[in-house]
Amino acid sequence: MKPLFFAMLKLYAKNVGKEYSRVDVQEALKATYGGFKAFKDKDMDAALMTACSNGIIHEARYELDAAGKLVIYYSCTQDEADVIDSYIAD
Amino acid sequence: MSEATMTAPNNALAAKKAQEASYRKKGIFIALMSGFLYGGYTAFMTQGMATGVWVDYYTPSGVAAGLSAFALVYTLSAVGAAVNDLCSAIWTIIYAAIIGRLGDFARTINTKPGKILIVAAIIGGPLASTCYVIGLQMAGSIIVPIAALNAAIGAIIGRFLYKQKLSGGMILGIVICFIAAVIIGLFGYGIPEDGLAGIVGNLGGGAALGIIAAFFAALGWGIEGAVGGYACCMVDTEVAICIRQCTSGIVNAVVLCSLLSLMGGDGIGSGLALVGHAMVDAPSIWMFFIAGIFASWSFKFWYKGASMCGAALGMGCNGTYAFWGPLYCLVVCGWIFGGEGWNIAWPGWVGAIIMVIGILILAISQDKATRAEA
Repeated sequence: MKPLFFAMLKLYAKNVGKEYSRVDVQEALKATYGGFKAFKDKDMDAALMTACSNGIIHEARYELDAAGKLVIYYSCTQDEADVIDSYIAD
Repeated sequence: MSEATMTAPNNALAAKKAQEASYRKKGIFIALMSGFLYGGYTAFMTQGMATGVWVDYYTPSGVAAGLSAFALVYTLSAVGAAVNDLCSAIWTIIYAAIIGRLGDFARTINTKPGKILIVAAIIGGPLASTCYVIGLQMAGSIIVPIAALNAAIGAIIGRFLYKQKLSGGMILGIVICFIAAVIIGLFGYGIPEDGLAGIVGNLGGGAALGIIAAFFAALGWGIEGAVGGYACCMVDTEVAICIRQCTSGIVNAVVLCSLLSLMGGDGIGSGLALVGHAMVDAPSIWMFFIAGIFASWSFKFWYKGASMCGAALGMGCNGTYAFWGPLYCLVVCGWIFGGEGWNIAWPGWVGAIIMVIGILILAISQDKATRAEA
């Protein structure tokens, strides 16, 4: 089992070009990590923003949801996936 | 990001800009807090090392009777750092357990980012701190400006290793912060009667070695800030700080104290024995524990600030420790515990103002560089 933040990044690295919002990431990892205390909107939003600001994932698009809240979709290029894979083994 | 910006509706664009501004402000605030909290760590550790069993250590008498002159200078500094880092590690693990990060702590240690954090902690913790003490002992306060180069070194490492932004304006900001740190470091406690000539004139035969040691200290801190900060874009900072403080505490206590004891001719076990006595010394240990809590938050915010803002701005903001250290010492060691000799001379305040200007230039320049890139 990987640390939660590693699992989040590996989700992007294994699905190059696919867009995931934080909600999508939570949905994908819920079965394994749903019980983690760090599995919170705020913590996971911060983790994705920090990964993005360091260039290991990038923002693909964003929109407002039905409640008017900002939803950011992140994605991973092959180069970014290579960086992630070079640090985090399968 | 630019493509996403162009196709988004106006209300979404406004929300996105607000979110970016909020993230940026939070990053700068966290990086500034790392410097502010470092002051508390400095003051409580300084006061702890002047209380209880530490009086015996420096006399030397009681359990420390017969300690070598080498030990009084070098080993005791390492013992102080070890006790602080061990207290900090204990607090950090307790806190990690409360917020549910112990599992990820164990899962991260044996990964590549975990190992990078361990190496960064050894370089920036025991190695750099020892180099700094050696520098101070061999060359005096002239090494303060050299050690203050750590933020610039961190920015350069961030630029070349992680392709982080480093514009002309940002370099100017770093230079101004460096000048401010030099002013505070050399003259924060007062201007020597014979001015700079006094500082330079105190240079002894080992000064060159001391200056080299100080440069290695700056290099160590620069590496730790840049590398540790970058690692936190993959590792939860709550986990990273557990790795950092546990590594630093154990290496300081077991390896460094033993090594220095051996070099001082005090016997390989004497350093660890001093750590043991200090850890159970009621009059001083609570101060180390407070210092350890300050250190835990300070280093955590150092890493987090660097990961959110980049090494240049993150370490520039962290550089305010040069001012907060003397100020906390004035309040804690001087006002609260009645110690004498704690004050901040006018150059210290001038240096603080110059540092604020440097950070502002650094932050604005980075903002401009980010917008230009977008």
